[in-house]
Formats: sequence, C-alpha cells, structure tokens
Amino acid sequence: MNGYAGTILRVDLTNGKLKEDKLDPSFARQYIGGVGFVVRMYLDELAGKTDIDPLGPDNPFVLMTGPLTGQKLDGAARWVCGSRSPLTGVWADCNVGGFFGAYLKFAGYDGIVITGASRTPVLLRIEEGTARLEDASRYWGMDTYETSDALAEESRGGGRGKDRVFTIGPAGENLVRFASIVNDKGHLAGRAGLGAVWGAKKLKAITAFGSGKPDIAHPERLSALKGELKEAYESSIYIDAIHSFGTATYMDVGVIGGDIPMKNWKLSEWEGFDDLGPLVYEEKLLAGRKTCYGCSVACKREAEVLQGPYAFPKGPGPEYETLASFGTLCLNRDIEAVGKANDLCNRYGMDTISLGATVAFSMECFEAGFLSLEDTGGIDLSWGNADALVKLVDQTGKREGFGRRLAEGSLRLSGELGEETRQFLTTVKGLEAPMHDPRCYHSFALAYATSSRGACHTQSPVFPVESGGLYFPDIPGLAGESEGMDSHGKAALVALCQDFGAFFTGSAVFCNLGASPVTALQAVEAVNAVTGFDYTLDEVIQLGRRIWYLQRSLSCVFGASGADDALPARLLSPLEEGPSAGSVPDMELMLKEYYTLRDFDPQGRPSPEVLKELGLSDVISLIQP
Amino acid sequence: MGLFKDAETFDTMLGGFFLRVAETPEVADKLLDSKLTIRFIYSDPEVVLFIDCSGDRVEVRSGDTDTKAEVEMTMSADIAHKFWFGKVNLTAALTRGQMKAKGPVPKILKLLPAIKPTYTMYPAYLEEKGYGEYNIY
Repeated sequence: MNGYAGTILRVDLTNGKLKEDKLDPSFARQYIGGVGFVVRMYLDELAGKTDIDPLGPDNPFVLMTGPLTGQKLDGAARWVCGSRSPLTGVWADCNVGGFFGAYLKFAGYDGIVITGASRTPVLLRIEEGTARLEDASRYWGMDTYETSDALAEESRGGGRGKDRVFTIGPAGENLVRFASIVNDKGHLAGRAGLGAVWGAKKLKAITAFGSGKPDIAHPERLSALKGELKEAYESSIYIDAIHSFGTATYMDVGVIGGDIPMKNWKLSEWEGFDDLGPLVYEEKLLAGRKTCYGCSVACKREAEVLQGPYAFPKGPGPEYETLASFGTLCLNRDIEAVGKANDLCNRYGMDTISLGATVAFSMECFEAGFLSLEDTGGIDLSWGNADALVKLVDQTGKREGFGRRLAEGSLRLSGELGEETRQFLTTVKGLEAPMHDPRCYHSFALAYATSSRGACHTQSPVFPVESGGLYFPDIPGLAGESEGMDSHGKAALVALCQDFGAFFTGSAVFCNLGASPVTALQAVEAVNAVTGFDYTLDEVIQLGRRIWYLQRSLSCVFGASGADDALPARLLSPLEEGPSAGSVPDMELMLKEYYTLRDFDPQGRPSPEVLKELGLSDVISLIQP
Repeated sequence: MGLFKDAETFDTMLGGFFLRVAETPEVADKLLDSKLTIRFIYSDPEVVLFIDCSGDRVEVRSGDTDTKAEVEMTMSADIAHKFWFGKVNLTAALTRGQMKAKGPVPKILKLLPAIKPTYTMYPAYLEEKGYGEYNIY
C-alpha cells in the first residue's frame, strides 16, 4: 500500500493480547494519517463510552504515523499520538519528531491502538513485522535516558541498527499530570500528560526496529519535488536561522514584537533576557547538533555543562519554549540552570512548559503571600531563584516535597490555594499557555481559546503563519498581510489555519519548523506522489476540516463547553510597557465571528447540520444532550 | 510608487539616522562587537547604504557598492522605513521575500535585540530633522 505500511497493531494490556488489522485504503484516503487516524480510531474505540477516567483502563491511547513518515524528506519525520488528558480532562493529541515513527513504519506498522491496563510493568517490542509484550519490571524506576540506553544496548548486534525507544520516566510512573513520553531522549509527546496515561497503564516503553520501506506510488514525482524544494531550502533564511541556532534563535526575534512572556506574563521586557539568547546558549551550553529522520534542517541542539552546581552530561538541549518557561517566565537569567532543569525534565519525562508555568505561578503566589516557606518545605520561591527552580523540577519528577503539589499543575494548585490566586493562572482548559503572547498577536488568543487540547501553539499553524515562519501564498485566505495587534478578521484566519493545519501538520504530518519553505500545493503533491492519491488543495482543506471537527467533538464529549473557550484574565491584562503595551485581544468579537463560522451552539458544540455535512453523523448523539 | 519621491531624500534621511545610531553608544557598542559589514540595497528609490562595524567606530557610507560586505540586505525603501519604526514582522518579511538577505543571516538576527532602542529613536529623529511628514506610525 503506497505510503503506508498497511497494518495497524492493536494491543490489549489487560489480557496481554495483540492483534493486527489491515489498514483500509478508503479509510486512509479519508483520514490521511497522523491525527486524522488517531482521532477517528480513538473515537471508534470509545464505542459510545464518554465517562472514562483518563488514568483508567478504559482510556485508549492511539499512536499513528503519517503517509510521509519514513520518507527522506525535510520536515516530514513526524507522527502523532493522542488520548484523554489527565491534566485537562479533555482531548489531547501530541505531534512528535525523532526517529521512532519512521522505524515503526519500517517494522511494518502504521500505528498502534492501545487499550486496557496491565497490572505489572510491561514494554512492547516491535521488530520486523512482529510485536510482543514483555515484562518491564527491571526498567520501572529508570529515567528515560537509562531506559533508552538499556533497551538500545540490548538490541545491538547481528549487524542491525539499534531499537528506537519511546518511553516514560519516573514522572509518568508517578502520574505527574503533565508527564511526557520521550522518544530517543529528546523528542517528546510533551504536553497534557500522556506520559501519565502510560504510567497508569503500567506501559513503560515501546521499542521499534524494522528495515522495510513503504512503496512510493510515483518516485519520479517525489524526486522532482525534492529537487524543487532543495532550492527553496537553500535560499530560506528561516531555515538558515534555525539550522544555525535552533529554536533558541526565536529569543532574539520574538522579543522585538513582545512575544516572549516574562515574570508570569506581567512583562515583555527585562534586562536579564540577554543572558538566555542564542549567543549565550552557544557559549555556555552548546555541545552538538541533531536532527529527526530524513531531515537536513537539523534544528535540534545538544547541550552540556561540565562543572558547577548545574552540571549535566551531554544530551538534548533546551528549545525556545524551555528557555522562556524556565528562564524569562521565572525571571531566571542563569542559562545553565535552564539547561539543568531541561535535562531533568527529559530524564523524568515532563513537559517544560507546564512545569515552568506552574513554578512561575508559584513564585507569584509566594510573592503575594499565598505560599510560605513552610508550604514549600523551606524553598525560597523568590523570582529568579535558579537553585529553587532546579530543586522543584527534581521534586516534581519524584513527586516529593512541594513537588507533589506542583505535579498536579497550576490549575489544581490554584484550587488548593484559593480563589484569589486564579488571577495568576495562565491556563486554557487547564493547559498552561505556551511562550507566545496573544497580546501581540490576537490570533493566538483565539487559537488558544478554541484549541481542543487547551492553550497550544502547535495544534494548528496559527502561530507560525501569523508570526511569519510559514507562508502559504497558494491559499488566498492565508496569503495576505495581517496586523498582529488587531482582532478583526482573525476568526476566519484561525479557522482556515485549523482546517489546513489538520492536514498539513496534523495528518500529512509536516513539521511546523522544518517544513517552512514548503507551499500548500507542494505539500499536497508530496502526499500524492507517495500515496498515489489524487488530492486537490481544496479537498485536503475539507478533509482537514472534518478531522478538526472530530478533535473538537472529542473535547465536547469529555465535557468542554463554550465557557472553556476563554483566556485567563492574566493573558488579557494589558501590559504597561513594551511593544504590545495596551494591546488586548477582543475575545468577544473574535469568538462571535468564530462561532458563526464554525456553526457552534452557545455551548460550543458543533451543530448537527455541520457534523452531517462533514459525514460525522455518528458523533451527533455523543455531544448533543 | 513608494512613499519617497526621490533617492536624495531617502538617502539623507536614513543615512543620517544610521549616523545617529552610530553615535549612540548603547547600540553602537553592540554593533561593533559583531564586527559585521552590511550593505543595504534599497529600491523605489534606489539607494545603497554601507554599514561598517569592523573597526573601532561604526561607519556609514552612502553609495558604497564596491567594498565587500559580509551581509547584503535587499528591500524596498518603504519596508526599510517601516522596519525602523519597529513595525515590520521580520520573520514574515523574510519568508515572504519582502526582504532578502545574503550572507550569515543568523548574525543579523543576533543584532535584533541590540537595535531595539532605535525604534523609539527613529520617529524622534524624523521630527527633529524636519521629516515629520514621514512620521506615519
């Protein structure tokens, strides 16, 4: 089956049984891959059950590659996994890079549907068309680096390459609500706590190795497209920048427009910022460069600190989001401490955005007197205290001391500390906002509010389109210029980004960063050349629209309503200084236009008419009373 | 037709601003740290400005098309004008081809935080030098 391995693996952890299903070509054409497969299969697996515990055996976990995963094509190594989030309670899907997806496909599987829960720790080994569950007791308690090294080492020999490992660390085992799942140490299913879903299922790891390559329908067309893209990549300044400095380069670019949140979103300018930029990164942390399968962009950094209180050995370095969440957000100007906190998060398997935001929230509560030294076990949570930051990361991964409370996320912590602390929250649907400020790009505000998984900058390409990293001149609604600090016209922009994005970054599955030079038509041609399908651009936007409505519906199934399509007060408070001083997104205007465009009822549910029109009639009874 | 009627006006106005920046230690010291040489090639009207940060002071030379530059930036005069007000999304301008760059662009990006104070200097400079009609933001 061109572009696909042709087989879906089903694993029931409760009874230990494995089963293989053939991938239906008509299903593949309708749902493309990646998040399209994930949401449709998850919904089918629910079989009408809506009242499920995210940490219970009834919560399925689905992991799917896309038609391009495993192709040697820049910015196309990615894949997607999803489940009900233990942090937010609503739908969560995560888009992941690295090598695991490619090798899963080479092993003969497009994806895995995992149900049930094991009573004892298990790991799933996948190799050359076979899969088996094994006891994982000896790995339980290991961090993600130790687990990856141990499993990769075991697989060496016989002249073949090492297994690719997707694993949880102690944070997942300890059910930290924002625990991640980690692929090859530095590529994470980062947000919304999918690592805790595995921890609850006692699933420690999945390994993948294979040597089969999916067939390509039109190799000559794919080759011609690669030639066309080569020139675009070579002349792309954006690619040059992220290749040279990684995502840390955004520290220099983002600050110009006021996009980098500081001091728990109370500032967008701070003199300590200079100590966290790409130059200092290069001087104090940089130890090498890495990439994802088949991608020449190589935007990933390796970092190390050889001595001092924040020493850590060479490993995946912090991305922009981490530099901001553990740096500017907490007014911590010590980049070595950021590197150490990042290293601990990778090892324990934790989301640096949610944890950084929860620490910043705690620092503000400490300053305002809602937390005391007694509460924190003697840790001084003053702004910029790097020692405290690193200590709290360690405690959280282990669920020890004050870290036990941080492990619940900022929304639950605020619930414990009292109503007055809600003013310091930065969550949407319970998910802490990423490091991009909606006060300087109003479209982000609407994208955060309406994302099915909560405040998120990657679930749709609104962020890269509005901030300039992605440009689609062949989609009229995305080709024009947009004024960032203006709320007019943003509803249509966001809806179109979400629809096209459900194809482009969601299902195809292109990278928001590494695929920057790829136009919409080139993206469609890549998928057609590989699969042999005959998609048009209009059709993939329509298919993306249907996938997006499925994501939305899943969150409605899990209780999200119109009231949850809202930003916290902190993100709507005007800044007094900086490039976006005085700017506040007009949420009422944008949501009104957006609800009309999306055909939502006041409770935020898609109307039966729009679901019927999209061929999703089966979803109506799940979300309508 | 762009905002500027003739090359002389734009050359004198922006060249003069670059000289002002060169005399502002807060910014100039960081430019000198970079040791960069940059040629700005403007269109509509056609003007070339060369910024030399390789010595012990920042030099601004109008019309220098001969000296080898480490970086060349090409854009319309209107985009350049808008940029110095802090009103250009640089990433979008580069991605959309409104600005083109040759050379080690990451080195240019590194200068962005350093030149941030100039965004407030520019409108004040325009007023002070009698270019108030161009103070459009």
